[in-house]
Amino acid sequence: MSGDLAMTTAEQFLFWIVSPIVVAGASALLFAKRAVLAACSIMVTMVGLAFLYVGLGAPFLGVVQVVVYTGAIMMLFVFVLMLVGVDVSDSFIETIRGQRWLGAVFGIGLAAVLAGAVVRSTFTARAGADSARELAESGNVGGVAGLLFSDFAFTLEITGCLLVIAAMGAVIMTHRTRLTKPVTQPELMRQRAKRGLRLTPEPAPGNYARHNAADVPALDAEGRIIENSVPSALRIRGQVHTVRGLGQDLLPGGPPPLRRPDAAPPAGRLEDPPEDPPAEAPEEALVEAPVEAPEDQPEGSLEGDQTASAAVDEPGPDKGEVKP
Amino acid sequence: MSPASLAALVAPVALVAPPMPPANVAPGGVATAAAGAEITINWVTLSPVVIVLGAAIVSTLIEAAAARRRPRPSGPAQPAYLRPLQAGLALVAVAAAGLMALRLALEADKSMGLNGDGAVVIDPVALYLQLAVACCALLALLVVADRTVQGESAFAPQAAAVPGSEYEAKARQRRLSQTDVYPLVLFATGGMMLFPAAGDLITLFVALEVLSLPLYLLSGMARHRRLWSQEASLKYFLLGAFGSAFFLFGAAWVYGATGALRLSGIAAAVQSPTGLDPILVVGVVLMLVGLFFKVGAAPFHSWTPDVYQGAPTPITGFMAACTKIAAFGALLRIVYAVFQALEWDLRPVLWTVAILTMVVGTVIGLVQKDVKRLLAYSAIAHAGFILVGVTSLTAEGLSGSLFYLFTYGIASVGGFGVIALVREVDAEGHMRGEATGLDQWRGLGRRSPVLAGAFAIFLLSFAGIPLTSGFVAKFAVFAAAFGAGAPALAIIGLACSAAAACFYARVIVAMFFEPAPGGEAAVGAAAEVGAAGLAGSALAGSGLGGSGLGGSGLGGSGLGGASPGGLGADRSGVGGSGLGIGVRTLGLTQIAIAVSLAFTLVLGLVPGWFLHFTQELSQLLS
Amino acid sequence: MSVSAYLILAAVLFTIGAVTVLVRRNSIVVFMGVELMLNAANLSFLAFSRLWGDFDGQLAAFFVMVVAAAEVVVGLAIIVSLFRTRRTVSVDDENLMRR
Repeated sequence: MSGDLAMTTAEQFLFWIVSPIVVAGASALLFAKRAVLAACSIMVTMVGLAFLYVGLGAPFLGVVQVVVYTGAIMMLFVFVLMLVGVDVSDSFIETIRGQRWLGAVFGIGLAAVLAGAVVRSTFTARAGADSARELAESGNVGGVAGLLFSDFAFTLEITGCLLVIAAMGAVIMTHRTRLTKPVTQPELMRQRAKRGLRLTPEPAPGNYARHNAADVPALDAEGRIIENSVPSALRIRGQVHTVRGLGQDLLPGGPPPLRRPDAAPPAGRLEDPPEDPPAEAPEEALVEAPVEAPEDQPEGSLEGDQTASAAVDEPGPDKGEVKP
Repeated sequence: MSPASLAALVAPVALVAPPMPPANVAPGGVATAAAGAEITINWVTLSPVVIVLGAAIVSTLIEAAAARRRPRPSGPAQPAYLRPLQAGLALVAVAAAGLMALRLALEADKSMGLNGDGAVVIDPVALYLQLAVACCALLALLVVADRTVQGESAFAPQAAAVPGSEYEAKARQRRLSQTDVYPLVLFATGGMMLFPAAGDLITLFVALEVLSLPLYLLSGMARHRRLWSQEASLKYFLLGAFGSAFFLFGAAWVYGATGALRLSGIAAAVQSPTGLDPILVVGVVLMLVGLFFKVGAAPFHSWTPDVYQGAPTPITGFMAACTKIAAFGALLRIVYAVFQALEWDLRPVLWTVAILTMVVGTVIGLVQKDVKRLLAYSAIAHAGFILVGVTSLTAEGLSGSLFYLFTYGIASVGGFGVIALVREVDAEGHMRGEATGLDQWRGLGRRSPVLAGAFAIFLLSFAGIPLTSGFVAKFAVFAAAFGAGAPALAIIGLACSAAAACFYARVIVAMFFEPAPGGEAAVGAAAEVGAAGLAGSALAGSGLGGSGLGGSGLGGSGLGGASPGGLGADRSGVGGSGLGIGVRTLGLTQIAIAVSLAFTLVLGLVPGWFLHFTQELSQLLS
Repeated sequence: MSVSAYLILAAVLFTIGAVTVLVRRNSIVVFMGVELMLNAANLSFLAFSRLWGDFDGQLAAFFVMVVAAAEVVVGLAIIVSLFRTRRTVSVDDENLMRR
């Protein structure tokens, strides 16, 4: 029939449902402050357009729209946005006064001209246009392919050149030829050794029968606390769990109050700072520790931390089993 | 990419490469029958384009092969053969393409008109434009390939290096160079040869992108003043993509109004009015807007000054010449061959744009203080003059436009070649970037009379002074405008020419009749050591570009505003005492300048033969 | 109900894309506006292809998609290399050259 497109009800339905979504997505691109929101909304627009393409009798292009445009191109945009900064948002302060009004005026004018041209035209489809296409022997893809490989074969080759340009351009703009030898692990370790830095990993926090947490420091061979075994964040916040506090609750008189590592030690308590003469501490501990340990041992509960606290002060030969 | 692979892909398609016909070139590049039937690709008539694009692909493969091995830890980071190989390949390819186009043009039957059909139409006008592009590209390639005796080219050692970083300094020291420039220039040339020969809307769009994308990339690869260069690249890209989108939307609506993608089909459909005419007119106008973006016509010219200033000078010359030839070629094809029926609708648009372009280019050019920006605004004005020729919609107008395009292109490449040779020198005698401030050019005539003389002749040609080709071109174009019943255009054109002659004269006067800044400064490597020199070298030595950085911080006007500002770059502190003129290079730029000069003078003194040639061509399309 | 509905939709999308390019300050969003304009052209091609009953418009839209992909690659490469230098993608901050 001559006259305009014969749009079925289903197609009209599709159009009138999808178009507002498409326009809404596009408007969000214009008005959204955050760039990532703009990217997501334009992806919605493109998927909506893919629906419309299928409705227009171009299923191949609908799929290509989703796969290439939304799936590749917009993903590339999102990746670059993540590279640039997900929180990046435009400041809406204008650098040219009235630029937004100018833009609005231009937009309204352009839309009016274009829509006016559409409204003033009369559309007459070729008779039997729809059926001619749908009945094309090779189907939609075949029809496109037929044209592609005959009329537009040379143009396709030129498009191939375009893709070469694009790939080359991406490499040129971002790839830097390596001018120095890459520094490998052995070299890095040699440099560290030269500078006198620690070569091994930091020691792990202490692991005892009662306590097994990141804030419990490990003890070295002399029974001193290894500061670096506790993560620095906890050290800075003063949340180190002192080893000396372990087993203190079993002392006569109850557990001493918790103290911070940098606070002044309460009088008479056992201390572990290295500047203390080592002679005193072991003596004191020797006084206390053997008191506790034999008490508990007959109970059968070999408290690892107690023996640890005992073994801390002096690795006595009889209690040598715990080596923190 | 080869015929063999294409044939292997599609069984029922037969590729035929006919032998060279004796006196008659087959009208079509690619002729087709119904889909799925035999197609003919006339590789011979397509050979200029194919040679250039094939060489571009080979060049890319050479790049890939050479880049495989990691460079040695010290010493030159690139094989020494790479650069000469790429440069040589590019020059040979473009020369071969030009010779092929010339041969085809000479053997073509000039009585054939635009009746070719197919995705690519190779008719005499297309061959002429391809030849023009090949000539200008060859000269521009000479300037691109040139480098100073210290081994510095005009391009950054690594485009991906952050300007001013340690890596970049190391790359310079290790003599790294971005030889990717050559394949990009070749691709752009291929696109420029294809664009005026395209026979349907899709090929037009694809060729437009093929010619544009390499230029976007190349604009960002300047060696000195890298920040400006990167900014130019971004601006060119965003506005170029904007223009291409307008072009494409217009093409879609033209297709819709006529039902044909082929220009021949469109021409046929346009003859009879249909109900879809409003869509057709809007489509055509949008396509023209896209093309106006490409040539830098007002009010779509805002990218031109910044891009011309920021891009590496050899690329600016290439762009100024060849993009205009290609884009105007396509514009001519669309306007003349296809839309004669829409004359009355298009006339107001073309008139407005032509007048606006001439006026804007001239008025803003008057206040420029930077030579490259000055030439950029003059390029805008010249685009306006060519548009006057196009607007006439007659054979004389077409002939004038074709002549103007060629002579302007050649003079442009020569002019920018001269600019490439005038460098700043810092206290240690290192060559820095080009000295583009007008006050740095004062007294050039005394220091290097040959260069200054050449530049003066180019400027006279731009101004349209008799005895240069520019005069003949302007005469042809304005005479055509008078003849076509558009005297107003010609009068405005003459007025603008006279005004433009003022700022060209200013440069000539500065070169020859004014003393050099800082007294008779040394030529070449030895610069005066003094406070100014040290300050200049301190600024210039950063490699980031002189006072342009220090004086920035203006909020700027964003992208879309066609803001008329006009103070130009402030060049006060830099290199006042150190100016390297006639920088010793391999001599390629000097060859290019000499050839351009020769053409400019010859076509100015004895233009008859050439005009006759273009007039013959233009009979075909009327 | 006619093809004009599709065309008006395409016109609206094109306008929104054009205004985005002119008004937004983030280069990536500006480029997305250009992509929207190309999509509007694609929609027009397909609507007209339906009107005229052949595959030309579909083929045109296909080529446009390929070309748009290439353009996006180049454009984002330029934007990324600029970002490396300036740590910003704002169009405003890139005005070192005086007018």
